[in-house]
Amino acid sequence: MLGIDDPQIWLAYILCFISAVGCMIYGALKWNDGSDDREVE
Amino acid sequence: MALSTPVLGVIILIYLMVIFYLGWLGYKKTKQTEDYMVAGRKIHPYILALSYGATFISTSAIIGFGGAAGALGMGLLWLAFMNIFIGIFIAFVIFGSKTRRMGLNLGAVTFPELLGRRYQSRFIQGFSGALIGIFMPLYAGIVLIGGARFLESTLEINYDVAVLILTVIVAAYVITGGLIAVMYTDALQGTLMFIGMAILLIFTYIKLGGVTAAHSALTSMSDLVPESLAAGGHLGWTAMPAFGSPIWWTLVSTLILGVGIGVIAQPQLAVRFMTVKNDTSLNRAVLVGGPFILMMTGVAFTVGALSNAYFHQTVGKISVVVAGGNTDLIMPEFINSAMPETFVILFMLTLLAAAMSTLSSQFHTMGTSIGHDFYREFIKKGELGQTINITRAAIAVTIIASVILAYILPISIIARATAIFFGLCAAAFLPMYVGALFWKRMTKAGAVASLLVGTFSSLFWLAFVHASEAVPLGISKAIFGVDTILTGTWTVVDPILVATPLAFIVAIVVSLATKPASKEHLDTCFKK
Repeated sequence: MLGIDDPQIWLAYILCFISAVGCMIYGALKWNDGSDDREVE
Repeated sequence: MALSTPVLGVIILIYLMVIFYLGWLGYKKTKQTEDYMVAGRKIHPYILALSYGATFISTSAIIGFGGAAGALGMGLLWLAFMNIFIGIFIAFVIFGSKTRRMGLNLGAVTFPELLGRRYQSRFIQGFSGALIGIFMPLYAGIVLIGGARFLESTLEINYDVAVLILTVIVAAYVITGGLIAVMYTDALQGTLMFIGMAILLIFTYIKLGGVTAAHSALTSMSDLVPESLAAGGHLGWTAMPAFGSPIWWTLVSTLILGVGIGVIAQPQLAVRFMTVKNDTSLNRAVLVGGPFILMMTGVAFTVGALSNAYFHQTVGKISVVVAGGNTDLIMPEFINSAMPETFVILFMLTLLAAAMSTLSSQFHTMGTSIGHDFYREFIKKGELGQTINITRAAIAVTIIASVILAYILPISIIARATAIFFGLCAAAFLPMYVGALFWKRMTKAGAVASLLVGTFSSLFWLAFVHASEAVPLGISKAIFGVDTILTGTWTVVDPILVATPLAFIVAIVVSLATKPASKEHLDTCFKK
């Protein structure tokens, strides 16, 4: 896959992208969560 | 270097003027201790994410680890994955919100103070502060050397002058503007790093004819692995090393696990969770942090490995050979020969930004550890009201220590500094940090025991077993007459894999054997 034969490597390559995109989705979905927390006075 | 020095000089000057402006903003906004130590707990999520990322990623992550990928191959992408998944996602979502809340509940302004107050122990705070104050200058030393070497080669100035300039500039805004100045400048530096690395990735793939073509070219070179590396288990740049071989152990234990997990217990990073006002800021920071780290380590490791394909196609050699055996030169050699000249200038700025952003946070953390945690809270039992001024003085002292270390220590030790510091932090702090946030049953005695066992077993393994440090340190040789007291695979197993589990076990056993903390105290700690 992607010109890489060893599955251990292309898996890492793809996981990098998935985890970064996952971070973006998480941040977007939770954009307004937690705003009613106790804040600093 | 073919660059025009005046052009680069002007660009660096403009950059430094903006940095000073941001430093001045930090100074203006710093009115009380909380501003200086935790940026008033009101930092914007974008600034938090970039500041965390830019502090995390130093020049050594790009040049040193990128060069390691040039030698060892794309297996390092597992570290990039760990950096994103553990270093950002787990750190912010699981550790971040609890750290923020507990820090606020206990009025803690540093990482050692958070631990000390959770376990009601000045010893924990003082010992942790001293540990950071003693070993972080080693880590700051390597970043300082990297930044100064950059100034030396690009501006063609004397190396000693470069060390002095860099130190004075960073010290000026850290000492006056505290963590606000550090985080504002980090955000600017992080933005520059993001742009520089994005362009580097795009140019590299274009040069090699696209993503799949580039990888295929590298895959087809597996028969070119030098004899010495092949004997250590190297199977090509797009393959993991042979399972259980020395290179596999180095890659997996030191690089992937050591640095990948060690990041959670880094004091200069953990303190940042206490700089935002609510969990929303932490959630929003994840959105920026994930892609940021992908563009840093993901790009550095991919490009580092792909440099082999580029050099093979252009000069018929692999990267390590082009760099004359010094892996630290792989990335600079590749950028200088493969990239357009204007980009080389931008990339130089990227590297300067990477060095300065890490350095500023290190200076701030070392100063607060010695000035606030060790001196004020531990020695003076918290009585002195001059925290900011003592911390400023401590920053100056620890900076001088870093500069001196950068001069006197042999380069073979300095080169290991990042891994040494990350591993030590993981073993010493991770068990009690995890316990502080997630296990109410963990006791003061359990925390003290895990701190001591983690610290000293880690140092013991470094000095007597792990060959990469034990051999250049020479302590084992001097005492026992042998380079390492154990032999075989043990000498390539990183201290983090031995000391951290040991510290976790001690933490659990001692906690279960001792009396738990009072309910009132735990209620204060875990208050919503």
